[in-house]
Amino acid sequence: MAEHDEEAETDATAERGGADAPDRRERLLNLLAALLESRAGLSREDLVTNPTLGYPAGAAAARRAFERDKATLRAMGVPLQGSDDGESRYRVDPKEYYLTNLEFSEDELAALHVAVTAIGLGSSAGEGALMKLGGLEGAGSMPIAELPFVDVLAPLFEASRRRCVVSFWYREKVREFEPWGLTSKFGNWYIVGLDHGADAMRVYRADRIDGEITTGSPKAFTVPNDFRADSYLEDRPWDYGEGRATDVVIRVDPGFEAAFADAVGAGAVLHHDADGTTVTVRAVELRALVNLVLGFLDHVEIIEPPAARTLIIDELEAWSR
Amino acid sequence: MSRTDAPPQLERVLAMIPWLATHRDVAKTEVAERFRVSLDQLEADLALIMMVGVPPYSPGDYINVTYDGDTVDLWLAPYFTRPLQLSPTEGLSLLAGGRALLAVDGSDPAGPLATAIEKLEDALGVSGVTVEFTTPPFLAEVREAAAAGVRISIDYWSAGRDELTSRTIEPGPPFFALGEWYTDAFCVLRGEARMFRVDRIRSVQATDLTFTPVAPRSGAGVYHPRPTDPRVTLELPPQASWVAESAPSESVEDLADGYQRVVIAVSERAWLERILVQVGPSARVVDPPEWQTIGRAAAERVLTRYRA
Repeated sequence: MAEHDEEAETDATAERGGADAPDRRERLLNLLAALLESRAGLSREDLVTNPTLGYPAGAAAARRAFERDKATLRAMGVPLQGSDDGESRYRVDPKEYYLTNLEFSEDELAALHVAVTAIGLGSSAGEGALMKLGGLEGAGSMPIAELPFVDVLAPLFEASRRRCVVSFWYREKVREFEPWGLTSKFGNWYIVGLDHGADAMRVYRADRIDGEITTGSPKAFTVPNDFRADSYLEDRPWDYGEGRATDVVIRVDPGFEAAFADAVGAGAVLHHDADGTTVTVRAVELRALVNLVLGFLDHVEIIEPPAARTLIIDELEAWSR
Repeated sequence: MSRTDAPPQLERVLAMIPWLATHRDVAKTEVAERFRVSLDQLEADLALIMMVGVPPYSPGDYINVTYDGDTVDLWLAPYFTRPLQLSPTEGLSLLAGGRALLAVDGSDPAGPLATAIEKLEDALGVSGVTVEFTTPPFLAEVREAAAAGVRISIDYWSAGRDELTSRTIEPGPPFFALGEWYTDAFCVLRGEARMFRVDRIRSVQATDLTFTPVAPRSGAGVYHPRPTDPRVTLELPPQASWVAESAPSESVEDLADGYQRVVIAVSERAWLERILVQVGPSARVVDPPEWQTIGRAAAERVLTRYRA
């Protein structure tokens, strides 16, 4: 906070040649109040010549100061109507400005406070939101997880909320895309939706998006009620394929049973015998399961069927060819 | 994070006015704590609120506020009666933080956090934000031992040496960062603090020895590449782009043939072996030259199991 205050101070000083910063804050608040109160809107001329708002005397200096005030209000999220052509009338519609549809109980505010302090997202925006909702309730929490946001997430979220088609660069191609939902899995953020070019559902990793997001007009698509973003992130790639399902029996060395069972996920059957542990996994796409097994090096061995054994031996022998 | 020149005092004041208007005659200390400001800063904020009016400033156009003693009383604010709408980043932060905490096991799926998220989703008109963590097999055991202050014996797989060791540790509360759960623990064997990856713990046995549980530390120390760790330069085929995405790579460069040249700090040789064996011989180790045969040697070792 201190850092931001200093920054504001420097800005105001630069503008007013050493005049005290509170003047500008006072002017911004009064300007915002005037814009909220006015039904017909106010022109730039109305505003900069109003002596009580205290804009600088010279026309050029007043215009510069007014442009900066507009930019500051917009950066705060104030829905300021009016274009920058100098002829426009400016106003702030109270219906757009005021937060009216959110009421939380004290318990809920305390729980949200715990959430935004327990989960590090790389900014203090969560606490900023709680300030608007009536300040920080309760004691919060020690941090327990970090899921840092990347810059593109906020525009993607807003586009998803307003149902705007977006376009962006990803892996050297422009993608035109309906952002249906955001999901974080295993520490990364993904955007899930319908890709217009591919005419199919796609998942893009947010931190791999190159540059800015271009956003189209609202209400451009609908999202099915039963849509769940996380269901598009494949857990077990060996479940998906064209062929028939095969039961693959895999021997797992002592000490690796839990880790292997965890990697294979739900549906694996563990069997303990005199020689140790075997795990049976049903797979459609054998190659994907072979890849998982390879990651365990010589601690895990495919026992049967022969087709799966041949596949993994081929992969390994490829290194000697 | 994007930076703006929006003075936070303005944002705070705009949030404070509606709260004060519905909480008459409230202690300054409470306001200061709730809005995370010092008492001096609170005085400055209130002085600013007193100056708010709409030209031409007739008496009804001012916000009424008195704050002479230890309390603040604000009433009949003609504007700023409700806070400013949440910005996209603010809405997403609340939702993502809430969803993430609900995804940590042990959270109450029907408690106040869950109802708060439902309200938030309704108000924002979204439902498509989900968060999922990995749940390594012994996460719950480690978390319980850390909270209760119970020493545990663990079998731990050391990825660097590719071996299992048994040790006794006093675990700290598990912390999720960079896609994995960690516990900042005291290792009794070595007599020193050590970070353990919870997914590499292969068994947990509670002992009857106890310790004083510690508060969790932030995960700032988790990211481990040390300046002395060897840097490895790999050239990987297009189907192996997941390597650059999942490893903390220092640089990624696209090559003409569709390959990517990736520089990664490798603290554990076995980690590199696994990557190479999974990608196959189309993966090339460029540097250091003495590591160019690692993949082939590891594949040979695994093959001996199948030839036995």
